[in-house]
Amino acid sequence: MAAKSYDNPELNKKLADQRYHNSQSNPEFTKDILKTSRTVANMCYQCGTCTGSCPSAPRSTYRIRLFMRRNVLGLENEALTDPDLWLCTTCYSCTDRCPRDIAPTDVIMAMRNFAFKRDIVPRNFLQTVQLIYNSGHGVPNNDVNRAARVRLGLTADPPTTHMYPEYIKGIQKILDLYGLKENSDRILKGD
Amino acid sequence: MQTMQNMHEYAFFLGCIAPNRYPGCEASAIKTSAKVGIKLLPLEGASCCPAPGAFGSIDLNVWYAMAARNLCLAEQMKKDIALICNGCYKSIYEVNHILKHDEELRGRVNEILKEIDMEFKGTIDVYHLAELYYDPKVCGVQKIRDSVTTPLTGAKVACHYGCHLLKPKKERHLGDTEAPTWFEELIAAVGAEPVEYRNKMMCCGAGGGVRGYDIVHALDITNEKLINISEVGADAISELCPFCQLQFDRGQIEIKEKFGDVYNIPVLHFNELLGLAQGMSPQDLALDLHAVDCTPFLEKVL
Repeated sequence: MAAKSYDNPELNKKLADQRYHNSQSNPEFTKDILKTSRTVANMCYQCGTCTGSCPSAPRSTYRIRLFMRRNVLGLENEALTDPDLWLCTTCYSCTDRCPRDIAPTDVIMAMRNFAFKRDIVPRNFLQTVQLIYNSGHGVPNNDVNRAARVRLGLTADPPTTHMYPEYIKGIQKILDLYGLKENSDRILKGD
Repeated sequence: MQTMQNMHEYAFFLGCIAPNRYPGCEASAIKTSAKVGIKLLPLEGASCCPAPGAFGSIDLNVWYAMAARNLCLAEQMKKDIALICNGCYKSIYEVNHILKHDEELRGRVNEILKEIDMEFKGTIDVYHLAELYYDPKVCGVQKIRDSVTTPLTGAKVACHYGCHLLKPKKERHLGDTEAPTWFEELIAAVGAEPVEYRNKMMCCGAGGGVRGYDIVHALDITNEKLINISEVGADAISELCPFCQLQFDRGQIEIKEKFGDVYNIPVLHFNELLGLAQGMSPQDLALDLHAVDCTPFLEKVL
């Protein structure tokens, strides 16, 4: 029973729930985000400094404060299916200014990780995976650039996986151990 | 020129965009650093850092492991890493820091690395070349100033620090993130006039996968920065990150197409500016690969 009681069982139940969980809430989500984000996201008191610092906020409906609230309330579906989740440029201005010493940016990153587990991810992220799997580089070399490199006295290919492709096997093994290539192939094909 | 014994040696982590899109950044990093006592050695077999926006968003565990693989290569060389990109700094510096201090996570990452006969030991440190240039224990502003043969006088340069080199502040060691001035000191050291502009520390707009996800949104952020930079009459933008460079440079072409706004402000990595100031020619820097024509700026300073 809540400290103050009313002749209304439904209201009493609501007042007893100090986490304001509703039928949409998944309390485990808050714990998962805490672990993956490595920041005390549940300590947010909704001051809005994050949204006020956000370069994406003035030009979209993306509100980082809203995602912070969804985390505290365990509103997993609402958070992970909102396309605005992908509008964070990860500039960390909110993180630098948060008076609760939380890293809201890392909460967004963690939420994106959980969205990916449900196959929710923009295509361009998966294309980067494909490029790295094949070449080791997210932005691989090309012929125009090779010619320019030679003009500058550099090797046509940089001394990375481009010049030493024998290292690509190790990279592919890492990505395969996490099933990343397989998952991104599957998601890209499903579109 | 320094004698070999006095040279500070680093494994040069290249990343992707510098070597594969703006090779002048790579060439000028190697040449300019050699003139101030820093030798950059090739880090053979390095890969993408990997891109913190794309990889970190999909699976942070893969991001840790892939960055750790790059760190292991430098550990095997027994050299600290120097790099020239803020995105790379986020991945390589931060994962190095996290793995050094989180034993449990290090154990998990090493289980994966064991499969490719590697182990993260935590024996090296990671630096951005610009912080080494600023650090008097390695180089310092005076040494940069002394290395200049062609001062870039008469040009106003707007500094774009970028995000991941300085932020989040508590996980970095480069001081103030609201109104820093150390980059401006480096710009003044090459003879140019650094200019302040509104909302200087704002993001370029490209990060976090946003450039790929919603280019108009990313460009709108870039456009706001360009408005603020053009208002103070800057002749060029200088940055410390090839991805920011791409966003400002190619972004100006895209902004012209999509919004009809034209700025024509050349965008040069600090390494490229230092290269010019040390007597490298525009050809030595492949400035012809830049989307925005650098000629008006070059005519002003050379």
